Amino acid sequence: MIAAKNDSWLALVPAGAKFAVLLLVSIGLYLVGHWQPLAVALLVSIALLLSAKVALRQLLWPLVSLLVIVGIIWVLLGIQTGWEQGAVAALRLLTLCIFAYTVSLSTTFDQMLELFQKVASPLKYLGANPAQISLGLALAVRFIPELKRVYLEVREAQFARGLHNNPLAVAVPLVIRSLRIAEETAEALDARGYDSTTTP
Amino acid sequence: MHSKPLESSPEIPVTGAAGTSSATKDTVLVAVFAAMIAAMGLVPPITLGLIPVPITLQTMGVMLAGAMLGPVRGMLATLTFVALVAAGLPLLSGGRGGLGVFAGPTGGYLIGFIAGSLVIGVLYKYWVLSRRSKAARLVAGFLSAVIGGVLVIYAFGIPWTAMVAGIPMGTSAIGSLGFLPGDLIKAGITTAVAVTVHRSYSGLMK
Repeated sequence: MIAAKNDSWLALVPAGAKFAVLLLVSIGLYLVGHWQPLAVALLVSIALLLSAKVALRQLLWPLVSLLVIVGIIWVLLGIQTGWEQGAVAALRLLTLCIFAYTVSLSTTFDQMLELFQKVASPLKYLGANPAQISLGLALAVRFIPELKRVYLEVREAQFARGLHNNPLAVAVPLVIRSLRIAEETAEALDARGYDSTTTP
Repeated sequence: MHSKPLESSPEIPVTGAAGTSSATKDTVLVAVFAAMIAAMGLVPPITLGLIPVPITLQTMGVMLAGAMLGPVRGMLATLTFVALVAAGLPLLSGGRGGLGVFAGPTGGYLIGFIAGSLVIGVLYKYWVLSRRSKAARLVAGFLSAVIGGVLVIYAFGIPWTAMVAGIPMGTSAIGSLGFLPGDLIKAGITTAVAVTVHRSYSGLMK
Protein backbone atom coordinates (compact mmCIF):
# COMPACT_ATOMS: atom_id res chain seq x y z
CA MET A 1 0.00 0.00 0.00
CA ILE A 2 1.31 3.36 -1.05
CA ALA A 3 0.30 6.91 -0.25
CA ALA A 4 -1.91 8.17 -3.04
CA LYS A 5 -1.95 11.98 -3.06
CA ASN A 6 -1.82 12.29 0.69
CA ASP A 7 -1.72 15.89 1.88
CA SER A 8 -2.08 15.33 5.62
CA TRP A 9 0.45 16.58 8.18
CA LEU A 10 1.98 13.09 8.34
CA ALA A 11 2.90 13.19 4.65
CA LEU A 12 5.11 16.20 5.41
CA VAL A 13 7.06 14.37 8.12
CA PRO A 14 10.31 12.94 6.68
CA ALA A 15 10.16 9.20 6.00
CA GLY A 16 13.21 8.57 8.19
CA ALA A 17 11.52 10.10 11.22
CA LYS A 18 8.37 8.04 10.67
CA PHE A 19 10.44 4.87 10.41
CA ALA A 20 12.37 5.67 13.56
CA VAL A 21 9.15 6.29 15.51
CA LEU A 22 7.60 3.10 14.13
CA LEU A 23 10.65 1.11 15.20
CA LEU A 24 10.63 2.59 18.71
CA VAL A 25 6.87 2.07 19.07
CA SER A 26 7.11 -1.57 18.00
CA ILE A 27 9.90 -2.26 20.51
CA GLY A 28 7.97 -0.38 23.18
CA LEU A 29 4.77 -2.34 22.54
CA TYR A 30 6.58 -5.63 23.17
CA LEU A 31 7.76 -4.37 26.55
CA VAL A 32 4.17 -3.69 27.70
CA GLY A 33 2.49 -6.70 29.29
CA HIS A 34 -0.89 -5.32 30.37
CA TRP A 35 -3.94 -4.79 28.22
CA GLN A 36 -4.93 -1.35 29.57
CA PRO A 37 -1.92 0.61 28.19
CA LEU A 38 -2.17 -1.39 24.97
CA ALA A 39 -5.82 -0.39 24.57
CA VAL A 40 -4.75 3.25 24.91
CA ALA A 41 -2.02 2.66 22.30
CA LEU A 42 -4.61 1.17 19.96
CA LEU A 43 -6.81 4.26 20.31
CA VAL A 44 -3.77 6.47 19.64
CA SER A 45 -2.90 4.45 16.52
CA ILE A 46 -6.47 4.72 15.22
CA ALA A 47 -6.50 8.47 15.87
CA LEU A 48 -3.22 8.79 13.97
CA LEU A 49 -4.54 6.73 11.08
CA LEU A 50 -7.63 8.93 10.86
CA SER A 51 -5.56 12.13 11.11
CA ALA A 52 -3.49 10.92 8.14
CA LYS A 53 -6.60 11.27 5.94
CA VAL A 54 -5.87 8.03 4.09
CA ALA A 55 -8.28 6.45 1.64
CA LEU A 56 -9.89 3.92 3.97
CA ARG A 57 -11.18 1.93 1.02
CA GLN A 58 -7.56 0.89 0.38
CA LEU A 59 -7.37 -0.44 3.93
CA LEU A 60 -10.59 -2.43 3.90
CA TRP A 61 -9.18 -5.82 2.89
CA PRO A 62 -5.99 -5.71 4.92
CA LEU A 63 -8.01 -4.67 7.97
CA VAL A 64 -10.65 -7.38 7.54
CA SER A 65 -8.05 -10.12 7.16
CA LEU A 66 -6.05 -8.68 10.08
CA LEU A 67 -9.16 -8.66 12.28
CA VAL A 68 -9.83 -12.30 11.43
CA ILE A 69 -6.26 -13.27 12.40
CA VAL A 70 -6.40 -11.19 15.58
CA GLY A 71 -9.72 -12.79 16.47
CA ILE A 72 -8.32 -16.29 15.97
CA ILE A 73 -5.28 -15.46 18.13
CA TRP A 74 -7.45 -14.03 20.89
CA VAL A 75 -9.74 -17.05 21.03
CA LEU A 76 -6.84 -19.52 20.72
CA LEU A 77 -4.83 -17.90 23.49
CA GLY A 78 -7.93 -17.28 25.56
CA ILE A 79 -8.71 -20.99 25.64
CA GLN A 80 -5.09 -22.10 26.00
CA THR A 81 -3.56 -19.68 28.48
CA GLY A 82 -6.00 -17.01 29.59
CA TRP A 83 -8.19 -14.29 28.16
CA GLU A 84 -6.07 -11.44 29.45
CA GLN A 85 -2.94 -12.73 27.76
CA GLY A 86 -4.98 -13.25 24.60
CA ALA A 87 -6.15 -9.67 24.76
CA VAL A 88 -2.56 -8.42 25.19
CA ALA A 89 -1.34 -10.30 22.11
CA ALA A 90 -4.37 -9.32 20.02
CA LEU A 91 -4.21 -5.63 20.98
CA ARG A 92 -0.46 -5.49 20.38
CA LEU A 93 -0.70 -7.02 16.92
CA LEU A 94 -3.61 -4.79 15.92
CA THR A 95 -1.90 -1.64 17.19
CA LEU A 96 1.40 -2.42 15.50
CA CYS A 97 -0.23 -3.15 12.16
CA ILE A 98 -2.29 0.05 12.27
CA PHE A 99 0.84 2.08 13.05
CA ALA A 100 2.64 0.37 10.15
CA TYR A 101 -0.31 0.99 7.77
CA THR A 102 -0.31 4.65 8.81
CA VAL A 103 3.38 5.03 7.93
CA SER A 104 2.97 3.18 4.63
CA LEU A 105 -0.10 5.14 3.58
CA SER A 106 1.38 8.54 4.37
CA THR A 107 4.71 7.93 2.62
CA THR A 108 5.13 7.81 -1.14
CA PHE A 109 6.99 5.02 -2.89
CA ASP A 110 9.70 7.47 -3.97
CA GLN A 111 10.25 8.65 -0.40
CA MET A 112 10.55 5.03 0.75
CA LEU A 113 13.11 4.15 -1.92
CA GLU A 114 15.04 7.34 -1.18
CA LEU A 115 15.16 6.37 2.49
CA PHE A 116 16.36 2.84 1.69
CA GLN A 117 19.10 4.22 -0.52
CA LYS A 118 20.15 6.58 2.25
CA VAL A 119 20.18 3.72 4.76
CA ALA A 120 22.21 1.57 2.34
CA SER A 121 24.72 4.30 1.50
CA PRO A 122 27.18 3.43 4.33
CA LEU A 123 27.60 0.11 2.50
CA LYS A 124 29.87 1.95 0.07
CA TYR A 125 32.65 1.53 2.61
CA LEU A 126 32.16 -2.23 2.17
CA GLY A 127 32.53 -1.97 -1.59
CA ALA A 128 28.88 -1.52 -2.57
CA ASN A 129 28.08 1.21 -5.03
CA PRO A 130 25.13 3.55 -4.35
CA ALA A 131 24.66 4.12 -8.09
CA GLN A 132 24.32 0.37 -8.60
CA ILE A 133 21.79 0.10 -5.76
CA SER A 134 19.65 2.82 -7.34
CA LEU A 135 19.94 1.22 -10.77
CA GLY A 136 19.01 -2.19 -9.35
CA LEU A 137 15.90 -0.90 -7.59
CA ALA A 138 14.75 1.13 -10.60
CA LEU A 139 15.30 -1.78 -13.00
CA ALA A 140 13.51 -4.24 -10.71
CA VAL A 141 10.42 -2.00 -10.65
CA ARG A 142 10.55 -1.70 -14.42
CA PHE A 143 11.00 -5.46 -14.97
CA ILE A 144 8.05 -6.59 -12.83
CA PRO A 145 5.35 -6.04 -15.50
CA GLU A 146 7.74 -7.37 -18.15
CA LEU A 147 8.36 -10.64 -16.32
CA LYS A 148 4.71 -11.00 -15.44
CA ARG A 149 3.96 -10.78 -19.16
CA VAL A 150 6.68 -13.32 -19.96
CA TYR A 151 5.38 -15.69 -17.27
CA LEU A 152 1.82 -15.54 -18.59
CA GLU A 153 3.03 -15.95 -22.18
CA VAL A 154 5.07 -19.02 -21.31
CA ARG A 155 2.20 -20.50 -19.35
CA GLU A 156 -0.22 -19.93 -22.20
CA ALA A 157 2.18 -21.46 -24.72
CA GLN A 158 2.74 -24.57 -22.60
CA PHE A 159 -0.99 -24.83 -21.96
CA ALA A 160 -1.51 -24.94 -25.73
CA ARG A 161 1.01 -27.79 -25.90
CA GLY A 162 -0.92 -29.68 -23.25
CA LEU A 163 1.72 -29.11 -20.58
CA HIS A 164 -0.51 -27.04 -18.32
CA ASN A 165 0.11 -29.01 -15.17
CA ASN A 166 3.85 -29.27 -15.61
CA PRO A 167 5.55 -26.51 -13.59
CA LEU A 168 8.94 -27.49 -15.00
CA ALA A 169 7.76 -26.69 -18.52
CA VAL A 170 6.91 -23.18 -17.34
CA ALA A 171 9.84 -22.50 -15.01
CA VAL A 172 12.70 -23.50 -17.33
CA PRO A 173 11.70 -21.17 -20.21
CA LEU A 174 10.89 -18.44 -17.68
CA VAL A 175 14.37 -18.61 -16.15
CA ILE A 176 16.08 -18.80 -19.54
CA ARG A 177 14.15 -15.83 -20.86
CA SER A 178 14.91 -13.90 -17.67
CA LEU A 179 18.62 -14.56 -18.16
CA ARG A 180 18.29 -13.37 -21.77
CA ILE A 181 16.47 -10.20 -20.77
CA ALA A 182 19.25 -9.49 -18.27
CA GLU A 183 21.91 -10.11 -20.91
CA GLU A 184 20.22 -7.84 -23.46
CA THR A 185 19.64 -5.08 -20.93
CA ALA A 186 23.24 -5.17 -19.71
CA GLU A 187 24.45 -4.96 -23.30
CA ALA A 188 22.08 -2.08 -24.02
CA LEU A 189 23.36 -0.21 -20.96
CA ASP A 190 26.95 -0.80 -22.03
CA ALA A 191 26.22 0.31 -25.58
CA ARG A 192 24.98 3.61 -24.19
CA GLY A 193 28.15 4.08 -22.20
CA TYR A 194 26.56 3.50 -18.82
CA ASP A 195 29.19 2.71 -16.24
CA SER A 196 27.83 1.94 -12.80
CA THR A 197 31.29 1.60 -11.31
CA THR A 198 31.80 5.35 -11.30
CA THR A 199 29.64 7.42 -9.03
CA PRO A 200 27.91 10.31 -10.76
CA MET B 1 5.75 -14.46 -29.36
CA HIS B 2 6.22 -18.05 -28.39
CA SER B 3 8.13 -19.39 -25.48
CA LYS B 4 11.06 -21.65 -26.08
CA PRO B 5 10.40 -25.31 -25.56
CA LEU B 6 12.68 -27.09 -23.10
CA GLU B 7 15.10 -28.63 -25.58
CA SER B 8 16.01 -25.46 -27.40
CA SER B 9 17.84 -23.72 -24.58
CA PRO B 10 19.84 -21.01 -26.31
CA GLU B 11 23.55 -21.45 -26.79
CA ILE B 12 24.31 -17.78 -26.20
CA PRO B 13 26.52 -17.69 -23.13
CA VAL B 14 25.27 -15.33 -20.46
CA THR B 15 28.68 -14.52 -19.13
CA GLY B 16 31.76 -13.47 -20.98
CA ALA B 17 30.13 -11.47 -23.77
CA ALA B 18 32.86 -9.25 -25.09
CA GLY B 19 33.00 -5.83 -23.51
CA THR B 20 30.12 -6.29 -21.08
CA SER B 21 31.01 -4.76 -17.77
CA SER B 22 30.39 -7.43 -15.18
CA ALA B 23 29.30 -4.93 -12.52
CA THR B 24 26.47 -3.69 -14.71
CA LYS B 25 25.43 -7.20 -15.66
CA ASP B 26 25.41 -8.34 -12.05
CA THR B 27 23.15 -5.43 -11.16
CA VAL B 28 20.79 -6.22 -14.02
CA LEU B 29 20.68 -9.92 -13.11
CA VAL B 30 19.82 -9.03 -9.51
CA ALA B 31 17.03 -6.72 -10.72
CA VAL B 32 15.61 -9.27 -13.18
CA PHE B 33 15.48 -12.02 -10.56
CA ALA B 34 13.93 -9.65 -8.01
CA ALA B 35 11.24 -8.93 -10.60
CA MET B 36 10.85 -12.66 -11.27
CA ILE B 37 10.14 -13.32 -7.59
CA ALA B 38 7.54 -10.55 -7.73
CA ALA B 39 6.01 -11.85 -10.97
CA MET B 40 5.66 -15.35 -9.51
CA GLY B 41 3.47 -13.92 -6.75
CA LEU B 42 1.40 -11.73 -9.06
CA VAL B 43 0.11 -14.30 -11.51
CA PRO B 44 -2.93 -16.31 -10.50
CA PRO B 45 -1.92 -19.36 -8.47
CA ILE B 46 -1.77 -22.79 -10.09
CA THR B 47 -2.41 -26.29 -8.83
CA LEU B 48 0.67 -28.46 -8.63
CA GLY B 49 0.31 -32.20 -9.22
CA LEU B 50 -0.39 -33.75 -5.84
CA ILE B 51 -1.77 -30.78 -3.94
CA PRO B 52 -5.41 -29.90 -4.58
CA VAL B 53 -5.11 -26.29 -3.34
CA PRO B 54 -3.72 -23.68 -5.77
CA ILE B 55 -0.42 -22.23 -4.54
CA THR B 56 1.71 -19.34 -5.70
CA LEU B 57 5.27 -19.90 -6.78
CA GLN B 58 6.76 -16.96 -4.88
CA THR B 59 9.01 -19.06 -2.60
CA MET B 60 10.16 -20.91 -5.70
CA GLY B 61 11.38 -17.58 -7.05
CA VAL B 62 13.38 -17.09 -3.86
CA MET B 63 14.91 -20.56 -4.14
CA LEU B 64 15.67 -20.04 -7.84
CA ALA B 65 17.43 -16.72 -7.19
CA GLY B 66 19.92 -18.46 -4.90
CA ALA B 67 20.24 -21.56 -7.04
CA MET B 68 20.77 -19.66 -10.30
CA LEU B 69 22.79 -16.62 -9.22
CA GLY B 70 24.78 -17.87 -6.23
CA PRO B 71 24.94 -16.48 -2.71
CA VAL B 72 25.69 -12.77 -3.16
CA ARG B 73 23.59 -11.91 -6.21
CA GLY B 74 20.85 -14.34 -5.17
CA MET B 75 20.58 -12.75 -1.75
CA LEU B 76 20.64 -9.25 -3.26
CA ALA B 77 17.81 -10.18 -5.63
CA THR B 78 15.68 -11.35 -2.70
CA LEU B 79 16.68 -8.31 -0.65
CA THR B 80 15.59 -6.06 -3.54
CA PHE B 81 12.23 -7.84 -3.69
CA VAL B 82 11.73 -7.51 0.09
CA ALA B 83 12.71 -3.82 -0.06
CA LEU B 84 10.10 -3.19 -2.77
CA VAL B 85 7.46 -4.91 -0.62
CA ALA B 86 8.48 -2.81 2.40
CA ALA B 87 8.31 0.33 0.27
CA GLY B 88 4.68 -0.46 -0.41
CA LEU B 89 4.33 -2.35 -3.68
CA PRO B 90 1.54 -4.97 -3.40
CA LEU B 91 3.72 -7.87 -4.54
CA LEU B 92 2.82 -10.60 -2.07
CA SER B 93 0.06 -13.11 -2.76
CA GLY B 94 -3.34 -11.53 -2.31
CA GLY B 95 -1.92 -8.12 -3.19
CA ARG B 96 -0.37 -7.53 0.21
CA GLY B 97 2.53 -5.15 0.70
CA GLY B 98 3.77 -2.32 2.85
CA LEU B 99 5.10 -2.17 6.37
CA GLY B 100 2.00 -3.82 7.84
CA VAL B 101 3.23 -7.12 6.42
CA PHE B 102 6.37 -6.92 8.53
CA ALA B 103 4.42 -6.05 11.66
CA GLY B 104 2.06 -8.96 11.02
CA PRO B 105 2.44 -12.66 11.83
CA THR B 106 4.05 -13.69 8.52
CA GLY B 107 6.77 -11.01 8.46
CA GLY B 108 9.44 -13.46 9.59
CA TYR B 109 9.07 -15.55 6.45
CA LEU B 110 9.92 -12.48 4.36
CA ILE B 111 13.11 -11.89 6.34
CA GLY B 112 13.78 -15.63 6.08
CA PHE B 113 13.56 -15.35 2.25
CA ILE B 114 16.76 -13.26 2.32
CA ALA B 115 18.69 -15.72 4.47
CA GLY B 116 17.22 -18.68 2.58
CA SER B 117 18.41 -17.50 -0.82
CA LEU B 118 21.87 -16.82 0.64
CA VAL B 119 22.13 -20.36 2.06
CA ILE B 120 20.87 -21.97 -1.17
CA GLY B 121 23.37 -19.87 -3.13
CA VAL B 122 26.29 -21.00 -0.96
CA LEU B 123 25.28 -24.66 -1.17
CA TYR B 124 24.74 -24.55 -4.93
CA LYS B 125 27.96 -22.72 -5.65
CA TYR B 126 30.29 -24.78 -3.50
CA TRP B 127 28.56 -28.15 -3.32
CA VAL B 128 25.85 -28.88 -5.89
CA LEU B 129 27.55 -27.55 -9.02
CA SER B 130 30.81 -29.34 -8.24
CA ARG B 131 29.05 -32.73 -8.41
CA ARG B 132 29.84 -34.53 -11.64
CA SER B 133 26.93 -36.88 -12.29
CA LYS B 134 23.44 -35.58 -12.92
CA ALA B 135 21.92 -37.81 -10.24
CA ALA B 136 24.32 -36.51 -7.59
CA ARG B 137 23.53 -32.95 -8.66
CA LEU B 138 19.80 -33.56 -8.37
CA VAL B 139 20.09 -35.11 -4.90
CA ALA B 140 22.46 -32.42 -3.60
CA GLY B 141 20.35 -29.72 -5.23
CA PHE B 142 17.15 -30.95 -3.64
CA LEU B 143 18.78 -31.18 -0.19
CA SER B 144 20.16 -27.65 -0.62
CA ALA B 145 16.79 -26.27 -1.67
CA VAL B 146 15.14 -27.92 1.34
CA ILE B 147 17.81 -26.66 3.77
CA GLY B 148 17.74 -23.07 2.48
CA GLY B 149 14.20 -22.82 1.16
CA VAL B 150 12.39 -24.66 3.93
CA LEU B 151 14.52 -25.03 7.09
CA VAL B 152 16.11 -21.57 7.03
CA ILE B 153 12.92 -19.75 6.01
CA TYR B 154 10.87 -21.56 8.67
CA ALA B 155 13.59 -20.89 11.25
CA PHE B 156 12.80 -17.20 10.82
CA GLY B 157 9.07 -17.50 10.22
CA ILE B 158 8.03 -19.77 13.09
CA PRO B 159 9.58 -17.83 16.02
CA TRP B 160 8.38 -14.55 14.45
CA THR B 161 4.79 -15.78 14.31
CA ALA B 162 5.11 -17.08 17.88
CA MET B 163 6.39 -13.72 19.10
CA VAL B 164 3.99 -11.49 17.16
CA ALA B 165 0.93 -13.56 17.96
CA GLY B 166 2.06 -14.39 21.50
CA ILE B 167 1.43 -18.09 20.88
CA PRO B 168 3.73 -20.94 21.97
CA MET B 169 6.45 -21.97 19.52
CA GLY B 170 4.94 -25.46 19.13
CA THR B 171 1.58 -24.10 17.99
CA SER B 172 3.32 -21.82 15.52
CA ALA B 173 5.37 -24.73 14.15
CA ILE B 174 2.26 -26.90 13.72
CA GLY B 175 0.56 -24.04 11.90
CA SER B 176 3.41 -23.81 9.40
CA LEU B 177 3.22 -27.53 8.60
CA GLY B 178 0.37 -26.76 6.22
CA PHE B 179 2.84 -25.10 3.85
CA LEU B 180 5.35 -27.95 4.01
CA PRO B 181 4.03 -30.19 1.17
CA GLY B 182 3.86 -27.26 -1.25
CA ASP B 183 7.32 -26.04 -0.26
CA LEU B 184 8.84 -29.50 -0.73
CA ILE B 185 7.36 -29.72 -4.23
CA LYS B 186 8.71 -26.25 -5.00
CA ALA B 187 12.16 -27.33 -3.78
CA GLY B 188 11.97 -30.28 -6.17
CA ILE B 189 10.97 -28.12 -9.14
CA THR B 190 13.66 -25.56 -8.29
CA THR B 191 16.28 -28.31 -8.34
CA ALA B 192 15.15 -29.70 -11.68
CA VAL B 193 15.08 -26.20 -13.21
CA ALA B 194 18.43 -25.14 -11.76
CA VAL B 195 20.25 -28.32 -12.80
CA THR B 196 18.76 -28.13 -16.31
CA VAL B 197 19.56 -24.47 -16.87
CA HIS B 198 23.05 -24.62 -15.33
CA ARG B 199 23.90 -27.30 -17.88
CA SER B 200 23.45 -24.84 -20.76
CA TYR B 201 24.60 -21.73 -18.87
CA SER B 202 27.63 -23.18 -17.17
CA GLY B 203 29.34 -19.84 -16.56
CA LEU B 204 26.51 -18.32 -14.56
CA MET B 205 28.22 -18.75 -11.21
CA LYS B 206 31.83 -17.75 -11.35
